[in-house]
Amino acid sequence: MIKITINGKNYKVKEGLTILEASKQVGIEIPHFCYHPALESEGSCRMCLVEIKGVPKLQLACSTPIKDGMEIETENERVIEARKAVLEFLLAGHPLDCPICDKAGECKLQDYYYKFGLFEDRFEEEKPKRDKLFRIAPNLIYDQERCILCTRCVRFLREITKTGELGVLNRGKESLISIYEQELIENNYSGNLADICPVGAITDIDFRFKIRTWFLERKKSICPICSRGCNINIHFLSPSFPFKVEKRVFRITPEPNVKINGYWICNLGRYNYHYIDNDRILHPLKRNGELKQISWEEFYEDIGNKIKILIRRKKEEKIGVIVNLSLTNEEYETLEIFFNKCIPGTEIITFGKKSGKEDNFLLTEDRNANRKGAGKYRFKEKKIDILKFLNKKELVIFFGHEITEHCNIQLLSEALKDIKTKVLIASNKGPLINLVDYILPSTVIAEKEGSFTNSQGITQKFYRVLEPLGESRPEIEILTSLAQKSGIWRNFLMTRRAG
Amino acid sequence: MTSMIEEKLLTRNLEVENLYKIEIYQKYDGYKALKKALLQMTPEQILEEVKKANLRGRGGAGFPAGLKWSFVPKDTHKPKYLCVNADEGEPGTFKDRFIMTNNPHLLIEGIIITCYCVGIHTAFIYIRGEYEHVAQRLETAIKEAYKKNYLGDNILKTNFSLNLYIHRGAGAYICGEETALLESLEGKRGHPRLKPPFPASVGLYKCPTVINNVETISNIPIIVLKGGEWFVKKGLPNDGGTRLFSVSGSVKNPGVYELPTGTNLKDIIFNYAGGMKEGRTLKAVIPGGLSAPILREDEIDIPMDCESLMKVNSMLGSSAIIVIDDRTPIIDVLRVIVNFYAHESCGQCTPCRNGTWWMKNIVHRICNGYGKISDIDNLLRIANNICGKTLCPMGDAASMAVRGVLEKFRQEIEDYIKKR
Amino acid sequence: MSLKFSPQIEKEINKIIKNYPQKQSALLSILHLAQKEFGYISEEVERLVAQILDIKPIRVREVVTFYTMFHQRPVGKYHIKVCRNISCSINGAEELIDYISEKLGIKVGETTPDKKFTLSVVECLGACEHAPCMQVNSEYYGNLDKKKIDLILERLNNDIND
Repeated sequence: MIKITINGKNYKVKEGLTILEASKQVGIEIPHFCYHPALESEGSCRMCLVEIKGVPKLQLACSTPIKDGMEIETENERVIEARKAVLEFLLAGHPLDCPICDKAGECKLQDYYYKFGLFEDRFEEEKPKRDKLFRIAPNLIYDQERCILCTRCVRFLREITKTGELGVLNRGKESLISIYEQELIENNYSGNLADICPVGAITDIDFRFKIRTWFLERKKSICPICSRGCNINIHFLSPSFPFKVEKRVFRITPEPNVKINGYWICNLGRYNYHYIDNDRILHPLKRNGELKQISWEEFYEDIGNKIKILIRRKKEEKIGVIVNLSLTNEEYETLEIFFNKCIPGTEIITFGKKSGKEDNFLLTEDRNANRKGAGKYRFKEKKIDILKFLNKKELVIFFGHEITEHCNIQLLSEALKDIKTKVLIASNKGPLINLVDYILPSTVIAEKEGSFTNSQGITQKFYRVLEPLGESRPEIEILTSLAQKSGIWRNFLMTRRAG
Repeated sequence: MTSMIEEKLLTRNLEVENLYKIEIYQKYDGYKALKKALLQMTPEQILEEVKKANLRGRGGAGFPAGLKWSFVPKDTHKPKYLCVNADEGEPGTFKDRFIMTNNPHLLIEGIIITCYCVGIHTAFIYIRGEYEHVAQRLETAIKEAYKKNYLGDNILKTNFSLNLYIHRGAGAYICGEETALLESLEGKRGHPRLKPPFPASVGLYKCPTVINNVETISNIPIIVLKGGEWFVKKGLPNDGGTRLFSVSGSVKNPGVYELPTGTNLKDIIFNYAGGMKEGRTLKAVIPGGLSAPILREDEIDIPMDCESLMKVNSMLGSSAIIVIDDRTPIIDVLRVIVNFYAHESCGQCTPCRNGTWWMKNIVHRICNGYGKISDIDNLLRIANNICGKTLCPMGDAASMAVRGVLEKFRQEIEDYIKKR
Repeated sequence: MSLKFSPQIEKEINKIIKNYPQKQSALLSILHLAQKEFGYISEEVERLVAQILDIKPIRVREVVTFYTMFHQRPVGKYHIKVCRNISCSINGAEELIDYISEKLGIKVGETTPDKKFTLSVVECLGACEHAPCMQVNSEYYGNLDKKKIDLILERLNNDIND
């Protein structure tokens, strides 16, 4: 630990940090554009200039290491004047697009101008006119006029994804970022470019013109698309938005986590959020010839009774449960208590989503959120004769549609015809909808709390971000309520308490 | 003040025909210094002489060469490099072209001795792309040197080996800045690097590198032959030796003049370069290449050395003297300056990229007749905002050059704006 | 991709690459050779050079667009580059630029219809003692006046090279 002084106050900080990092640690923000903690220092934006006692020229906070006894000024007149100068230079060449720019409200240029600038405009020349709709990726647009040449995007593609699609062309004020000819950026991390662009030069087509950032709130969650468990922020419509809209979630961005996903998420996780609002099962339904809406109570009574009868007849093996690999650890625990412990003899099989290609970075082959958690409670995916499993069953409960990825839908349909009672508990519509008698809406990850254990074995807790849509309920609630009506309640409570 | 001893160091023997050919060069003490250095001196002894000589960099920055060489770590496993800066982009400068065309072996000899002194086995001459024929002449001279075993393995039968290559630039003034030169040598855009770390420890391919100007290196043979103390006496105590002054502009005899450091500027113009052209009077002088702040005609009675020019807020720079006469409107000078820096800005850092462009646009607006008096203060303000905040010294150069003209010729520019 | 260097040039390229500890250093030299061979640096040339050096084509284009001596479009047989910097400017460069422009009937940056001449303005060529100067391809011409320019243009037009 060494001692440094910032703005007159003494601090003890770890050696080996830059002034910017050390200041951040003690809660002092130094403005910057080109610096990014995951990328190599560039030192070209010149926004982070600070004054060091004894050094005549202002120095960059992002690349100057701290030394024992260093005295740093980050808010004195000279430093503020330098910041104003850099801001003025940037704004002189920048189109005043705020009214039509997506970045407004989360734009560093805006934020710093409000904090350190507020000077009058003395630029009277013509601003350069350039291509504002330069497509650099299927999902990204680059605005050549807004770019401040911080080169974060170029460095990200060279250092993080190591794919190097972007480069800097021309010289001086003519400089631009560009792809080569028509070779679009098509790697699985391109979405991060819109996040790291400090201004609205790179915008995401998925988000473009959809909503103003100040109408969005954000809460942390975990991405369920694969077993990495990247930390994300779900951006949803704030209650302050004055109009009624169906859509709740507008985008997903990464939440930094050094151990798991660094500062990034992959495109698969970033753009696959539409399931949260679309194609949802909203109400409990029962099929009596045709589908009819029922109440949760009716469902609990119906199925609870059926379970009671089967237990009394000592025909537990006639109950079949098909579990998926994306439930929370708490839900697996509950399933184990409910079926394995309270109704031993129940047959349980596990099916997860099919594997995909991994990408040598964050995306894992395993596309299930909690295989490791399921495995801890002995819910493991095994090769199994599904038809044999379904044969002679009287009550079958499906959690999710995953089984349809592992067998022929025709054969499944045939086998299900012979089963008296078929229950589906799922959040979204899918192939099983037409094959079951009871359809119960469960919540998506964003609407419940629980924990997942990722492929590295790290268990992460997540909390509710959105209110359950319609009448959907978390699986853990459904199971607990069902337990009350299935004649196993006392046993269930005792086992849970003991566990 | 008339000059001191007018001994020719760098330009000696230039009247000899075909001095660029090795047989002729050798007849006139050519490669004698190399033989002395390799066979009679140790690298430490050579460094001592160079330090005693107070040889300051001749490229523009004026950094003492001996000190620069001593920054190279002695105990390193990495290969070390020498890059000779032959980019000569500073407007008004043509002395390096002069040496390389007329006496390439002097440079080569200097390179070999320098490399021997610092422990370098690979050297590059980074020559600006436009000097295609000069590069060819150097290539031929290098081949001749290899044939005589002054280059290659076991030079003069010692264990010292050195390979020397020519590397051509392709039209970028910024590549004269040492770290941009390294980037260009590595096959990339000429973007200057952050300093520290300095090239002496982290340079070409991240290895220790010495970068020196052509003229600086060309002085090494004579320092070895005659000693550092002798050399220093040819100039000033803290700025030894002679300098090659490139004199151009409105003088009768533009050209390269080798004179002791500290020679009076007025002297150089009127006693050596023949004075003003017929019918012209002197209005201003840019003393050290376009980046050096301009001097009025009442400021030219000044010795040409680093310290003296710094005292008057100008600089010796590349010792390129550009003489401006009364027929040149100062607005033209300003326009040349802003055009140049805006064109040559690499574009990496905010103040230079946007500042030089902004200044250019204002000056063009003034030249097109839409200028205002407040533009002058705005230009000064912009120049001040660039100065001291950029990644490399080019921003400072642009800023100081513009400020120099505006501060010293403000009235003339105001009159111009009012008239238009 | 059918574009290839002539075997002679390829030999030279291989020699140049050996001069450097890292391949990419040879880029500028190779681009000079490529421009001589193909006239200008087209996309095809960029891809060819990128392949030779094992780097991405965008890296080649970054360099081509940074340095003023590389052209992405064909230039005339004689590329006239007139200096507009300080010493040349003091000695009447602007006038001469206008004169050449008028004489050839093209604006700065353009090429004559018979593709013989391209006119550009450049910054300091490092030959200020002969101001005003210009460079035509790789030759320097100094101490210019209208008469000299007439003479030079005529000789070039008749392909008499000095």
